[in-house]
Amino acid sequence: MSILEVNHIEKHFGATQVLNDISFSLEKGQALSIIGSSGSGKTTLLRCLNFLEKPNGGTIAVNGNIIFDAADPATQQEKEIRAKRLHFGLVFQNFNLFPQYTALQNVTLARELLAKERGGESKKEIEEEGKMLLAQMGLSDRATHYPHQLSGGQQQRVAIARALAMHPDILCFDEPTSALDPELTGEVLRVIRKLAEQKTTMIIVTHEMAFARDVADQIIFMDGGVIVEQGDPHQVIEHPREERTRQFLARYSEN
Amino acid sequence: MELILEQMPVVIHSLNIGFLQTLKLFFVTLIGAIPLGLIISFGSMSRFSPLRWLTRLVVWVVRGTPLMIQLLIIYYFPGLVLKNNWWGSGETGRFIASSVAFIFNYACYFSEIYRGGIQGVPKGQQEAGMVLGMTKSQIFFKVTLLQMIKRIVPPMSNEIITLVKDTSLARIIALQEIIWAGQAFLKGSQGISGAIWPLFFTAVYYLIFNGILTVLLGRLEQKLDYFK
Amino acid sequence: MKNMKKIWAMLLALTMILSLAACGSKKETPAAEEKPAAEQPAETPAEEPAADSEVAAIQSKGTLVVGITDFAPMDYKDADGNWIGFDADMAKAFAESLGVAVEFVEIDWDNKVLELNSQAIDCVWNGMTLTDEVTSAMECSNAYCNNAQVVIVPADKADQYQTVEACADLAFAVEAGSAGEAEVDALGYNFTPVKAQSDALMEVAAGTSDAAVIDSLMAAAMVGEGTGYADLTYTVGLNSEEYGVGFRKGSDLAAALNDFFAAAYADGSMIECAEAYGVQAALIAQ
Repeated sequence: MSILEVNHIEKHFGATQVLNDISFSLEKGQALSIIGSSGSGKTTLLRCLNFLEKPNGGTIAVNGNIIFDAADPATQQEKEIRAKRLHFGLVFQNFNLFPQYTALQNVTLARELLAKERGGESKKEIEEEGKMLLAQMGLSDRATHYPHQLSGGQQQRVAIARALAMHPDILCFDEPTSALDPELTGEVLRVIRKLAEQKTTMIIVTHEMAFARDVADQIIFMDGGVIVEQGDPHQVIEHPREERTRQFLARYSEN
Repeated sequence: MELILEQMPVVIHSLNIGFLQTLKLFFVTLIGAIPLGLIISFGSMSRFSPLRWLTRLVVWVVRGTPLMIQLLIIYYFPGLVLKNNWWGSGETGRFIASSVAFIFNYACYFSEIYRGGIQGVPKGQQEAGMVLGMTKSQIFFKVTLLQMIKRIVPPMSNEIITLVKDTSLARIIALQEIIWAGQAFLKGSQGISGAIWPLFFTAVYYLIFNGILTVLLGRLEQKLDYFK
Repeated sequence: MKNMKKIWAMLLALTMILSLAACGSKKETPAAEEKPAAEQPAETPAEEPAADSEVAAIQSKGTLVVGITDFAPMDYKDADGNWIGFDADMAKAFAESLGVAVEFVEIDWDNKVLELNSQAIDCVWNGMTLTDEVTSAMECSNAYCNNAQVVIVPADKADQYQTVEACADLAFAVEAGSAGEAEVDALGYNFTPVKAQSDALMEVAAGTSDAAVIDSLMAAAMVGEGTGYADLTYTVGLNSEEYGVGFRKGSDLAAALNDFFAAAYADGSMIECAEAYGVQAALIAQ
């Protein structure tokens, strides 16, 4: 059984159709890369999965349970959305770290609030885990720094640790290196690559073609709100079947 | 000079009483207007458009008319038009009417500052909280609020300093604050008449109090400087 | 965020409703006690004088609220902070004759008609000159005290300005709406209206105006040797005028006060009171 099953997702903003009949599935421990030019609907798709946007049609199932069905209002209740969101983690293009908290506090805040509400681990345990996650990101010595004291690459790594702290089933990345200076992208990509090696289930929206090819188990090329081509990364990137994919990749290698 | 020294104890005593009234009005206004301003700012950002437009209309009227006129209307309107002066005639009634006028006026100014503060916090902060499974109130209190406070402290400081001086407007409805007390010696009061210096001396009170406020607000601003 | 805003919207609506309700209920309670014989709008004063006896209303309320300013020797505070003066003492006696307590409230003189009509005070009793403006806006008692408007100039120039004609070229400062303003205006002299008689004095002291016109009773108390304005003096009197007490238009309190004045003058208590404050010479026979 697939960990994630997305069927016939539709989304429009007013008259503009942004997502059109999007369907795909993802196996546990796999990484999926989504590529495509800006405006192709990649980011909107990620936002739909994280309930930041509400699709106008289609279903989303996690571990076989339908958590969203556009035709069934019972699956859209405000109260439950919060719990459903926790299936997914999201790393933003602009990090969106909380500026008033240290790196460690950024990682532990949401977890502590949840534990306070539902009972569970002690503050100390959460903190230990937070430190461990920061260590995993190579940021042990930055735990007490505030976001504005960190470089972009460091901030994005804190953001990844923050997302991991919630133990999501599926971790989503929305162009995680687009806001970084070129010399800082490497450290972030290395971290994601390591997560892939540890069999973290991931969806990565990215412009780094070589990275997508090497890390992903599956690749989706989107254009104009539809999935144009999906399949094995080497096949899609090196021998695309569709003309639009070819054009996109050609344009890309020119740049 | 000798005359002034002779008058000093009586005048200072009288100015102190007046300044106490000034301070009372100042603090009551702050205590009332800071939370009321937040409610009004939410009204002006409401998704329910009639409420949003009504709130913005009220804010526009209150900010667009002189506080002095508002004081006159609030104190005299009930008795003049409704034929029932519910404020009473004594000092208490005048103080309550002044407080109502000041709280409402300043709440409207504060609400606009809050609105700027709230809307100035990037949307991504809210979204980050949401995808981490935080509730709306957790996001407001744990994420947005402090960032908003940091944004509003400098403009709020300006308004607060202005408020100290604006309290003197309440003497239009005969609230006996410090300038009233100082002016009384011009006309003659407690055996001192034609004394001009007490009126000008009131400025010293304002200056000292505003000095203290400036230092305190500056410290608050500094405290919030640890993040950007 | 949607829920949160809904909650706030409801709170806001609730606050508005509550405040309206609070106003509404406050409106009703005192009205039940005070209103029965209360003030009628200015347009209908003559219609129902007997039915709307304000004397009765004041007596049921139990307090006569007297609007005053700090104006020696008519109304001013003693060392203990109690209001005394010729007007204050007479007001106390008048309230006593009605069987009610007296409450003195300091008002902004510019707003005296507002204060009266909004029922913040019941009368203006503060050495008020009976000008046309005053008598048309208030129900006034008989005149009880004589007064004059006098010209104030620096003492060292006083001998040049001993006649009305000699003052023609001076720049005057006068209290806006005062009898003094009416006088200089009638003479066609150049003047600046200021907020209070005391401000007019300050103008002369500061040299921003050449001369001021103020009440002679006030001038006697405030300028010359031993006062704050030792360098000023008063010269020529422009007119004579009279003081009276003002009530709301149509109020029967004015007639009640006239009766009281007549009685107090007859038994000598009014003269006695005037002597205590040095205004006996100005007192008018009742």
